[in-house]
Amino acid sequence: MYILKNAVKSITRNKLRNILIGIIVLIISVSACVSLSIRQAAETAKADTLSSLNVTAQISFDRQKAMEEMQKNESSDNQDSQNNQSSDSNQKSFDRGKFDFGVLQGTSLSLDDYMKYTKALSSGDGYYYSGAVSLNATGDLIPYGTDETDSSTSSDSSKSSDKKSDSTQNNSDSSSQEKNAPPEMGGFGGMGGDSDGGMRGRLSRGDFSITGFSSYDAMLSLFGDDGSCKISDGKMFDESSDALECIISNELASYNNLKVGDTVTLANPSCEDETYKLKSVGIYKNSEASSTENNRFMMNDPANNIYMNYTAFSKIISASEKADNKTTDSSGNEKSAVLKDNLAFTYTFKNVDNYNTFSKKVYDLGLSDDYKVSSSDLTAYENSLRPLETLSTTAMWFFLIVLAVGGAILITLNVFSLRERKYEVGALTAIGMKKAKVAAQFVTEILIVTFAALIIGTSVGAVVSVPVTNTLLSSQIESEQSSSDKISQNFGFKNDGNSAPSMGTPPMGGHGMRSSEKSASVKYVDSISSATNLMVILKLALVGLFLTLIASLAALICIMRYEPLKILSNRS
Amino acid sequence: MTTLKLNDISYRYDKSSKNVLENINMEFESGKIYTIVGKSGAGKTTLLSVLSSLARPTGGEILLNGENVLDIDRYRFRSKYVGVIFQSFNLLTHLTAIENVILSMDISGKKFDRPKKEIALELLQKVGLDLSEANRRVLKLSGGQQQRVAIARALSYDPDFILADEPTGNLDSETQDEIIRIFRMLADEGKCVIIVTHSPEVAAVSDVTYALKKT
Repeated sequence: MYILKNAVKSITRNKLRNILIGIIVLIISVSACVSLSIRQAAETAKADTLSSLNVTAQISFDRQKAMEEMQKNESSDNQDSQNNQSSDSNQKSFDRGKFDFGVLQGTSLSLDDYMKYTKALSSGDGYYYSGAVSLNATGDLIPYGTDETDSSTSSDSSKSSDKKSDSTQNNSDSSSQEKNAPPEMGGFGGMGGDSDGGMRGRLSRGDFSITGFSSYDAMLSLFGDDGSCKISDGKMFDESSDALECIISNELASYNNLKVGDTVTLANPSCEDETYKLKSVGIYKNSEASSTENNRFMMNDPANNIYMNYTAFSKIISASEKADNKTTDSSGNEKSAVLKDNLAFTYTFKNVDNYNTFSKKVYDLGLSDDYKVSSSDLTAYENSLRPLETLSTTAMWFFLIVLAVGGAILITLNVFSLRERKYEVGALTAIGMKKAKVAAQFVTEILIVTFAALIIGTSVGAVVSVPVTNTLLSSQIESEQSSSDKISQNFGFKNDGNSAPSMGTPPMGGHGMRSSEKSASVKYVDSISSATNLMVILKLALVGLFLTLIASLAALICIMRYEPLKILSNRS
Repeated sequence: MTTLKLNDISYRYDKSSKNVLENINMEFESGKIYTIVGKSGAGKTTLLSVLSSLARPTGGEILLNGENVLDIDRYRFRSKYVGVIFQSFNLLTHLTAIENVILSMDISGKKFDRPKKEIALELLQKVGLDLSEANRRVLKLSGGQQQRVAIARALSYDPDFILADEPTGNLDSETQDEIIRIFRMLADEGKCVIIVTHSPEVAAVSDVTYALKKT
């Protein structure tokens, strides 16, 4: 008890020195509090986002790997056939064609494969999938926006179809029909040709993109929280019914004067006689339907997307397989006209651990190394946290430097005060005070000063940490953005944030998804609400203990080495 | 009756040097004043540090009422059984006189039947310091006053032995007489007062004088 009393007395006695120590500890604790708060905020943001994150993953063919392997093969081919230069170039281009056709074509997994890999899922995980085909319009039906696309190739018809009055509709209808009749080209200015074939699976492009969803979950990207679609009339198709029911966009509906309950007839683009009747049970409104030019070239106008459930959708596919129609291409070869289901399979995970388990286990289930499991959500999540994490790392270093410098100053201060204190140690031990108690008193003194300063420092730090963090964060985001802007500029993308594809986004299923999902700029975590919590305060207490120890180190060594006998030689 | 007995005490500062003290045999009893005299370098202060357990003898034994002092924790021995008045006082100069006295009472860990402050004040008055002096910082007291504080401190936890190192060295003869009068009073109260000195006046008033010779 008297130790504490002595310590308090000693503090008030050496005001100047203790105020100095206090100020240093104050500076350290404010910066430590801010640094630790930033780190804590990063952790919290990470955990929060992670817990609310719906991890979804796709299995996709690793194109890059395949390309690299192909290049390897090519260069070895080159060496083999060096003496036959003239035929070599032919050979090479043929190989490339064969590669595109063979390797990439055979890369899509079948529904059975995907279902097999669901065994790698943990409990609580799920999956959904959707299939898509392109179908052409038949009869009176006109695909929305045909006019604009046609303008480049067929100016006459496009002009007439510009008018949407009933009187001109028939006219434009026939002309667009005419235009769309050549099955291979599909009215897309040659885009559906062989150059695109590697990616699109050599399928003829139709006017409409028909997508069948395995469940409503599969449609969340369209009709969910962040989706842009909404049923505006009628109802959503039944999730599991096998009736050929669909929903169509309001643009298409008004363009063709279709109502809920009407039937649309669509044809296989490769075989006009193969038709399917779909009953539209609902009309949806897509708020993002005003497509940019970018989208136009990448896929069909979103207004021409027709949605249905997968059960009904698979009926179309199996009917087409049954019909087994053939078509001849421009060079006269006969090809199968069977509709190919372009499948997008998505696994959903309860948490990231499950995702990681899945991405390991799936290879044990026989997935080839040529495929990779990737999650766009996780990538986006990691990207969104990047500024905060950079800041957190910076904060860590700042914290360590402040701690080191502060610690050094504290040691120096205490070494200087030791001369005076040596006498005190001598006097106290000479009258029988144990060294340990003397040490305890000295440590108590520093502890009191340190913690008083620490409490003030923490309060100040807690108040300023949120605004400071947010300010630092916004400048960090600015620098991140300016660097990604620069990348976009270098790539020649426009700077509006929408046209620049974010780097590192894995290839999507390729249909049905909003294009904006592919190209949206990274949404960073740009503010934190609270940073200083109990954890931070506990850590700061540890910092305080550490500083106390550092500061009293010199004194402790001095006390422990002190020989009470020395007091007799101290005659001053 | 309390006794402190030195049997064949010898002491050297380190192994290579020769003994500063050699085969010292002395006996101290309560109620008497002892003086230890000798020339400079005869080991007076060394003997005092051995007696106060600041230094451990390298040979021999010290018996307190027959019990070997070397078996007692030296800090405990110093803070309970002996009160040491150092030549340079070794007071905590930034504390007041009364705080110095109370501090040594605290350190001893002894229980007191009255408030420490009351005892301390009484002791200070006994050695001739008034209330205002008692509450003054030691740094601001004169040498004689500091000496009195040192004595009061040595007495504070009621030890059986009072050890004093040249207690009159820096004092004028008037103060010296006063200090000696205090020591006599303590001896009459039953304390054993051991004074290390080279002053013949002090030696003259003592009951027993031990002379140390250079080894």
